[in-house]
Amino acid sequence: MISPAALVKRTAPVLACIGLLAIWQVASLGLKSDSFPTATDAVRAIPDILGDKESLINILASLRRMAVGFGIAVLLSIPLGLLMGRSRAVSAFFNPLLMVIYPVPKAALMPIIMLWLGVGDITKTLVIFLGVSLPVIYHSFEGAKAVEEKMLWSGAAMGLSPLQCLVRIVLPAALPEILTGCRTGLVLALITMITSEMIARQSGAGNILFNALDMGQYDTVYAMIIIVGAMGICLDAVFERVRTRLVRWSEPQFDMPLSFS
Amino acid sequence: MPSSEWVRPLTSQKPASAILEIDRVSQVFQTSARKEHLALSEISLTIEEGAFVSILGPSGCGKSTLLYIVGGFVSPTRGAAKMKGQAITGPGPDRGPVFQEFALFPWKTVLGNVMYGPRQRGVRATEAEAQSRALIEMVGLKGYENFYPKELSGGMKQRVALARTLAYHPQVLLMDEPFGALDAHTRTRLQNDLLNIWERDRKTVLFVTHSVDEAVFLSDKVVMMSNSPGRIREVIAIDLPRPRRRNELLLDPRYQKYVVDIERMFDESEEAGAPL
Repeated sequence: MISPAALVKRTAPVLACIGLLAIWQVASLGLKSDSFPTATDAVRAIPDILGDKESLINILASLRRMAVGFGIAVLLSIPLGLLMGRSRAVSAFFNPLLMVIYPVPKAALMPIIMLWLGVGDITKTLVIFLGVSLPVIYHSFEGAKAVEEKMLWSGAAMGLSPLQCLVRIVLPAALPEILTGCRTGLVLALITMITSEMIARQSGAGNILFNALDMGQYDTVYAMIIIVGAMGICLDAVFERVRTRLVRWSEPQFDMPLSFS
Repeated sequence: MPSSEWVRPLTSQKPASAILEIDRVSQVFQTSARKEHLALSEISLTIEEGAFVSILGPSGCGKSTLLYIVGGFVSPTRGAAKMKGQAITGPGPDRGPVFQEFALFPWKTVLGNVMYGPRQRGVRATEAEAQSRALIEMVGLKGYENFYPKELSGGMKQRVALARTLAYHPQVLLMDEPFGALDAHTRTRLQNDLLNIWERDRKTVLFVTHSVDEAVFLSDKVVMMSNSPGRIREVIAIDLPRPRRRNELLLDPRYQKYVVDIERMFDESEEAGAPL
């Protein structure tokens, strides 16, 4: 038997989505504009896109670039952030560098990268990599900095070498913070993925979206936005599952559901 | 109170040999670009094997720093500390710390924390687990093996920290105000339990505290320090019979005299130093 409160809590995200679609439907029927198709038209266009082999290859190519860019960024950023957090010399070297790069929109670097590396996979993956790296470095750095000195001393007394301390104490102790950075990084990966395909129009989900816009196929444009949004929600939900499993030992910070998982 | 007045505790049978030697250790901290603070000045101290020694002093007298130097976590500016004749150059499993902040590994369960040291020392998993379970029972936490540190109270956390350190068999226990963060009742219980555990195997203990009665209750020797710069003011042998029971000891005039005398000395030390 589910209590009414639990029922509301469970169905709330679904109800919110249905509500949004309903407002959209009413608004578009009222406005009667070509560039604002009804929600039903947009939703009806989704199977067409997903059923089309060409589109599917494009979307999968986007996801592949995103996965590669995100993966490499995480693998390089976590060790760098942890080292910066524990070594004054390393942070003194990298901090000013990152401070300069941090506020620059990574998509703004694309024209230069395109000049060097062309409009292919490497350029787009590199931009995704840059977008993901900074939040992951920053959060790893903050997490490593906050690790209690006495915890490291306890490890050292058991005979852990400085490198072992970094891998076996700093890494797990900073994990909640690191994963917060990764979650931000994941959303940024999706954003930079679409943006990179907007700028270097060759393939990908962003390319489908903007081609449809050029050709005035507005229901496809809206359908693509829904698909990209759904991709974001699914990726985030899967990541949240993994994250909560990994850091169950740490203090629960919020009682509110922060994702749709 | 001349220290020669007090004979060695009756309970130590074998001839005591020095396990720790602190030789003219000074510690200077750079407080700002131009200012230096002399935290410890020319500290010399010998600690005998199997002794329970407390370092007592007002806050800021450098007593914790002295413990960190023995632990190898901090290098002294001048002088040297030796463990069994070997100069201490860094932390090692022969000296096990227990900190006021517990410093448990929050991602490990109680059992995982206690097993960490033995596993690191190369003990087989099954053996390490059996030993750790026995230690957890000894510190009174049977049934909590699979709890995470966040689920435990302060007193329980400190019990885990003690078990975690005992698990890798250090020759010296370095306790840095271990009960300082606990409420009075929990503190008393942990003092009793620590004494019970200690009286079984008589490990050498260096115990930093600012509580006079805690120092007298637990120790064979109390090293009284004074403030600014940190110096040893007096070493007082506590000649009270063991095993010690709190309810007997509190009524014992000898115990009361120690506490009163040391408290007076404590006040004088504080007056000698910087105003609080």
